[in-house]
Amino acid sequence: MGILEEISTLLQQGRAPKVKSLVAQAIEEGIEPQKILEEGLLSGMSVVGEKFKNDQVFVPEVLIAARAMNAGTQVLKPYLIEEGVEEKGTVVLGTVKGDLHDIGKNLVKMMMEGKGLKVIDLGVDVPAETYLQAARENNARIIACSALLTTTMGEMKNVVDMAKASGLDVKVMIGGAPVTQDFADSIGADCYTPDAASAAEAALAFCS
Amino acid sequence: MTPRENLISLLRRKGYEEVPYEFFLCPSLVEKYHEATKSEESYFDYFQMPWRRLSDLKPDQPDVSRFLAYHGGSIGDDTVIDEWGVGHQSTPTSMHMTRMLCPLADADSEEQVKEYPLPTYSEESNPGLKEEADALHARGLASVGNMQCTIWETSWYIRGMENMMMDMMCEEPMAEIMLDRVLQMSISRALLYAKAGVDILYFGDDVGMQQSVMMSEELYCTWLKPRLKKLIDEVRKIRPDILVFYHSCGYIEPFIPHLIDAGVDVLNPIQPECMDFAEIFQKYQGQISFHGTIGTQSVMPFGTPEEVKKEVWKNLDIAGKKGGLFVAPTHLLEPEVPWENIVAYVEACKEYKGQ
Repeated sequence: MGILEEISTLLQQGRAPKVKSLVAQAIEEGIEPQKILEEGLLSGMSVVGEKFKNDQVFVPEVLIAARAMNAGTQVLKPYLIEEGVEEKGTVVLGTVKGDLHDIGKNLVKMMMEGKGLKVIDLGVDVPAETYLQAARENNARIIACSALLTTTMGEMKNVVDMAKASGLDVKVMIGGAPVTQDFADSIGADCYTPDAASAAEAALAFCS
Repeated sequence: MTPRENLISLLRRKGYEEVPYEFFLCPSLVEKYHEATKSEESYFDYFQMPWRRLSDLKPDQPDVSRFLAYHGGSIGDDTVIDEWGVGHQSTPTSMHMTRMLCPLADADSEEQVKEYPLPTYSEESNPGLKEEADALHARGLASVGNMQCTIWETSWYIRGMENMMMDMMCEEPMAEIMLDRVLQMSISRALLYAKAGVDILYFGDDVGMQQSVMMSEELYCTWLKPRLKKLIDEVRKIRPDILVFYHSCGYIEPFIPHLIDAGVDVLNPIQPECMDFAEIFQKYQGQISFHGTIGTQSVMPFGTPEEVKKEVWKNLDIAGKKGGLFVAPTHLLEPEVPWENIVAYVEACKEYKGQ
């Protein structure tokens, strides 16, 4: 097994310390940082995302895989910056105003980072104008909104309306337990995804 | 039959005379209830619901200041620390919901989990429980000891969900210590209610998400199922007749056989947006009863009163004459649920004539 394949496999198993040391070893061996990222870390995370979507692994497996990815990324980051390797796009992410639920949102963040996207996490209880401001400041291509409550999912319409009125070239993605495709259509959102892995795929597609 | 006898007979699938009903209202709907009915009574009494909860148990250590050190030494006016040390911070926009502050989120040693000052519970700190239960029974009402967030949820509220899951995945001794300490606390609480003579113990730990389970069956069976079973076994040693309810939101079908195995009698809430009640009933009838099934993500907030009634009748038809379904909204009713839909739910139960 090549070292990049090994990184990918160990990442899938959530073995953070091993991933970290192997990434350092790969750099020492002179493998390009971008290749380590793509064929080691992101490739591993992509398998995890696919398995998550197919109910073959669940949140705990994703968490330890994401932790392993972060361990590897920390080592790799200075080299990526040095080489001028950029993220594939920027997403502004948050749970909408009035809603404090963040577990689903955090999962989306992990999956999106696992696709090589930069995620600006605005946290929970985020007003529509804050999404727009952050999208403008970070030149984001995507605003992603989460909600767990039927009471708060209406706030997503404000985000969509404000994004349209802003003139920014930004897509609004929505998701969360009570959210459906019908609801997304009714408020004019650009995209609805039923799970975190699909959200990451859709976001990547918007950015490429 | 009294409402209590009727409810217990329905839950034991031995038939029923009237369709019982119950629901919980968020604070703004409670106001709406008083406006709509002009009643000053509690809505449980006004609607003549068949059960009541006993008082929440009081810990032996009511002073929560011992937890301040876990929250940076001080908290703001917007934050309340509960009896387990978990912080709940309200925001101007989040209504009755609060942000959770997990006291052991940064813990990195077994000692920290071992030394965490969980409360204890005793008869001395909770006098009068039996009298409360007796008084309810004298009114013909069933009595409930409410102990949701039984093992898993209280553990992760303290440790943080992501940390707790990762501890379990890595077979970190901290996970075992945390879950076992919360289990022991829950056993002592459950026994207090059981000795007081409650008809029902209401347990619950969310282990489902909208379309999938929160963790693998293997992880569930390794860490959570044996502890739930131990809790139920301990209660049944002194009260073999007690009815055990278990709540988990979301899709949990793979766990249902394990819940039956652990000794659960009634499963709540069977969210129709996540699981098909007809299928679930078909598969598990005779082994477990159900509570809920009327969607609070769908028909209750967004349906018409007619649609609410049809849903109630459809599900009662599925359950049939023996019962086995305490039909109810699947969750607390939130501000956007129209009052007419709540009235329609009650009327549907009253009007149901059977198949």
